Amino acid sequence: MKLPLLSLLIFLPLATAALLWLLPARLTRHLVAAGMLLNLLLATWILFVFVPTGEPFQFVERAVWIAGLNVQYFVAVDGLSVLFLPATTLLFLGSLVASWNSIEENRRLHYSLLLMLQSATLGIFCALDTLLFFVFWEATLLPIYFLLGRWGATVDAGRVAARYFLIMLAGGIPLLLAFILLAASQPAPTFDLSLLLAADLPRSTQYAVFLLLLLGFGLKVPFVPLHTWLPQFALAAPGSLTALLVGLKIGAFGLVRFTIPLAPLAAQDLHWLLAGLGTLALLYGAVGMLAQSNLRVGLAYASICHVGLAVLGLSAFTAQAAQGAISLLLSFAVATGGAFILLEFLRQRIGSTDINSLGGAAKTMPLLASGFLICGLAGVGMPGTSSFPGEFMLIIATLHSHTGAGLAALFALSIAAGGFLSLYRKAFFGQVTRPEVAQAEDLRPREWLVLVALIAMVAGIGIYPGPWIEIVRPAAEAWAAGLGR
Amino acid sequence: MNTALTEIFWTQQSSLPLLLLVQLLPLCGAALVFALRQRSTAVLAGKCLALAELLLLVYVVGRIDPTLPALQLAERFAPLAWHVAVDGISLVFLLLAALLTLLMTLYGMSRSRISPGLLFSVLLLAEGGLVGMLLTLNLAWFAAFSALELWAVVFLLRHWAASRVETQALARFVQYQAFGWALFAAGCVVLGWGHAEAHAGRWSFDLFDLQQTLPVGKFQTAAFYLLFYGLAVRTPLFPLHGWLPNMAQHGLIAVAPALMVGVKVGIYGMLRFVLPLTPTAVAYWQPYVVGFAMAGIFFTAALAFQQSDLRRLLAFAVVSHTSLLVIGVFSLHESGIQGAVLLAANFGLAVTGMWFIVGFVFRRTGTTELHELSGLFERIPFLAIAFLGCGLAIVGMPGTPGFDAAHLVLEAAIDNFGALPTVAAALGNVAAAGFLLWAFQRAFLSQRQAGAVEVEHTQPMEYVVCGIALLALLVIGFFAEPWLHLTEAASQAIATRFVR
Repeated sequence: MKLPLLSLLIFLPLATAALLWLLPARLTRHLVAAGMLLNLLLATWILFVFVPTGEPFQFVERAVWIAGLNVQYFVAVDGLSVLFLPATTLLFLGSLVASWNSIEENRRLHYSLLLMLQSATLGIFCALDTLLFFVFWEATLLPIYFLLGRWGATVDAGRVAARYFLIMLAGGIPLLLAFILLAASQPAPTFDLSLLLAADLPRSTQYAVFLLLLLGFGLKVPFVPLHTWLPQFALAAPGSLTALLVGLKIGAFGLVRFTIPLAPLAAQDLHWLLAGLGTLALLYGAVGMLAQSNLRVGLAYASICHVGLAVLGLSAFTAQAAQGAISLLLSFAVATGGAFILLEFLRQRIGSTDINSLGGAAKTMPLLASGFLICGLAGVGMPGTSSFPGEFMLIIATLHSHTGAGLAALFALSIAAGGFLSLYRKAFFGQVTRPEVAQAEDLRPREWLVLVALIAMVAGIGIYPGPWIEIVRPAAEAWAAGLGR
Repeated sequence: MNTALTEIFWTQQSSLPLLLLVQLLPLCGAALVFALRQRSTAVLAGKCLALAELLLLVYVVGRIDPTLPALQLAERFAPLAWHVAVDGISLVFLLLAALLTLLMTLYGMSRSRISPGLLFSVLLLAEGGLVGMLLTLNLAWFAAFSALELWAVVFLLRHWAASRVETQALARFVQYQAFGWALFAAGCVVLGWGHAEAHAGRWSFDLFDLQQTLPVGKFQTAAFYLLFYGLAVRTPLFPLHGWLPNMAQHGLIAVAPALMVGVKVGIYGMLRFVLPLTPTAVAYWQPYVVGFAMAGIFFTAALAFQQSDLRRLLAFAVVSHTSLLVIGVFSLHESGIQGAVLLAANFGLAVTGMWFIVGFVFRRTGTTELHELSGLFERIPFLAIAFLGCGLAIVGMPGTPGFDAAHLVLEAAIDNFGALPTVAAALGNVAAAGFLLWAFQRAFLSQRQAGAVEVEHTQPMEYVVCGIALLALLVIGFFAEPWLHLTEAASQAIATRFVR
């Protein structure tokens, strides 16, 4: 009998969360760490067993969930999603380390919520029943709301949390409508993605589905002008939470997984919309970053910029573009996620990540400063870092399909790089003027370990990207073939 | 298509007249507790009786076959015009009524002016009224049981009212309810008279008899309006909701609103009587009713945002989400009706849970004014989480029954009214999430104000009450299948009358 590996992976965090309440409170953090490590091992194991050239969907598990509505518990991974599993588990582990000493009260609740969020996020990457996906998608809201509202970094974190919750709840409506519309378009209503992908929909239905899904996922991506929650969120949330939300681009993943393949005709008719939104986000993010004085908000704008590149590239609808987009998104999980985690270390030391209260931080915290530099450079797509292969493929694809937008992208990326380096210089170089900075202690061993892991991945994937890209390639080719190109 | 009602007698399904037991248990229980009211055993007896009623109903659910569209376990006793039967829909409401009564007996709050024994016996009497309304297939009996339940609520409110505003709220309540009841009774008379005209002066209020000779033309319209508005006051439906906010704010906390709006007998009455008895009028007036309901969702949600009192806020939340139920019922579509039934149960349980929590907060702080509450999360985290959990059930988050049910209603709404009204209805949910989160934010998550009362930690009884409500929501939410199965055939049976 085969083990239900994916279900184990998805529900292990929930089981850990339940266990927290049964064991003494002093064991909480260690138990969470053990659970997350086990999950990381499980995800790595899945990655090793996964055969890139094999069946499109592997580790399939199917069970009837709500027979009356024809909803299934249907999970599986393909080349597009399998790499997100280790990335997610790794990032959650990093997030745990980043919050190791900063959570004093209600620790059990805090970590239970974090584990709930992990379960839901893993579920998003694995679900192949649209309604099951939606359930996981909405299930992320509650833990995020609480983690931000209760353990936020600023006084108005509660307000920001409520705003985020409402915006995302409203964003769920178009998603749900699109899924209902898709289900109703079939002779027998179904939410099974593999059936929906095979179906030929009339063009008008495709338009409706495409636009609804674009709106729903666009809020999470985020597209400009739907992005206003993100800078606020980055400022109000502890870095350990922002790392998860910004690092794991579930919005863009939704575009790749659902929006484009489910409505291929509409997507190709409206390629200009996708490309335009991508370019707008690219330019806006890059320019917006120049105006920031807070490193966390700056990084949030950088992430708007980069996810814009992924969307722009996707609008070429080629295998190369899909491959590039997925590798770029994965690289962000490590690089941007890592950068936010390092900023959380910094915030715990200085109490702020505003450049005005930093200055010369590299003198007292050389390790932290160099780690942040590497993650940041990966974020701007420096050759030799993990982002470069993906970015390169995307730029090539874009220059072929939307030449003007591709040129604009190159321009925006150089602005973003400049913006990042300028912020970095002001924060980490120069004279130390603040006593907090002068007394700050560099990374502790536990934090140091996170840093080493991050750098190993950023540099390792950057220098030798072959195996990773090969995992994505067959799935990306199938993806492009499914669009009829 | 054959749309005639059918029924299966109890003798074919059971060796006992189960529904008679279901009806008599709370009524006899009320008498017993009333007799014991001076002794300490009264409280225990009340709790046991409430539990017994719930278990009995669970047994009844096991006895019926939900795949049949017929009404089942039917009992008739002609001299009293006694005619009862159940189907999947009424069982959902019955189970909810029994569960809520059990929770209320656990919660059991009273000011010193009414003894616990008396309170429990009135509670059981109210349950008897609710159960009677849900069992009977006779309009006159429905009205009579409705009067019994209203009397019980008024009795409780009268013993609670100590100040002038409280008395005023009570007076307003009585005026509204008496008016609504009178409208409903008038509707019954119109239908009964119609039957008498057609059958040589033989009056009947029985659903089965009335269904054979539906009134035509203006009479049907009149009957529809009288019954619908009578129930709309009770439900309450915008714009006839004026009694609820005052009663919620100044009346007996938790118990009174839970009795009035926890079990949506108004919605049940529409499904059981209004839709089958006045089908032409229902189909004709459908757009207007739905239009009003749409307006109601947003108008009352906007009012909820204006409230500074948690109890009033919840009252407006009830009116807002009840409008969504009416959209489901008046979609006249199988999944819309099924969704409305499940959603009604979900809302009833969730909002009652929230009312209990508000009651617990009031016991600690002596107020439900939002600006006087702060930082409660630190002291009573479990109650805070339960409050949010119930709130999310109202919003229809996945994992609560609200999700599956709202999904069904939206599906029906897309089919019937197109995309735009559906989006509007769905946005109503976001609005509800807005004010519920806003209230949660202020009362529970905000920084504790200087000089605020140090509240005590959660009590075991509070864990039990909120735990049961929360657990029921989560379990039904994740395992919705049995409930869909239970209500499917019955919803179909109602919707077949309106095949387009």
